[in-house]
Amino acid sequence: MLKGIVLKIPSDDIIVEAVQIFVEKIGLTAGINEEDVTGLSIAVMEVVKNSIEHGNGGDPKKQVTIHVDAYPGRLQFLIDDCGSWQPDADMGHKPGEGEALVSSRGRGVLIARNLARWLDYGLNPEGKTRVTLIWPLS
Amino acid sequence: MKIKEEIKDGVMVIRLSGKVISGPDLMDLKSVFQTAVSKATGNVLLDLGHVAWMDSSGLGVLVSGHTSLAREGGRMAILNATKKIHELFIITKLITIFETFTDESEALASLKE
Repeated sequence: MLKGIVLKIPSDDIIVEAVQIFVEKIGLTAGINEEDVTGLSIAVMEVVKNSIEHGNGGDPKKQVTIHVDAYPGRLQFLIDDCGSWQPDADMGHKPGEGEALVSSRGRGVLIARNLARWLDYGLNPEGKTRVTLIWPLS
Repeated sequence: MKIKEEIKDGVMVIRLSGKVISGPDLMDLKSVFQTAVSKATGNVLLDLGHVAWMDSSGLGVLVSGHTSLAREGGRMAILNATKKIHELFIITKLITIFETFTDESEALASLKE
């Protein structure tokens, strides 16, 4: 049932909360329990926020595309933006170290990596950033 | 997210519940911290006992509040962080800058020192 779902959003922070609700609905439909589904939605939301900021430079004309597919035992999210950035190289700091410890920003990737069971940054066939997030299904 | 404020033993106690995540609610929390700083109420005890989840934006507001208070000579302590929130503090190493308590009386006594 959860195959080939595609959500395209403009790069605008105001839409992020709606994405979280969308992901929670998808997760619940896939059978993830209510407590874990918030973790999934926050992980996806952190990735989307970074795609908006680092991939698309906050330009509302540029879209972030979220592809969702369920497979036996796993739910897969592919999150594409229009950039070609890498989190460790392009974010300019390591959260939790030095002055970054008291920064009010820059913890999204760290949180997403710890919440998601699998999170990988790569490129899509067009050479743009693609984040693959996989959540196990029981 | 719901925010409740009260002054207890001279300490501003801010009680949060629900999800502390990106969205308009975070602006309200920022305002509460700004009020605490501007009113020079001194120290803040932030009760997270009923916070289900927090994202990086929520953490950012807490760090900003902590920093703003510290700049004015105040302190912020965290009360009753749930297991999930405590894990977030460990992951992000914020556990090294936040004072955390599980007993309100103990927290208030510490903030009155």
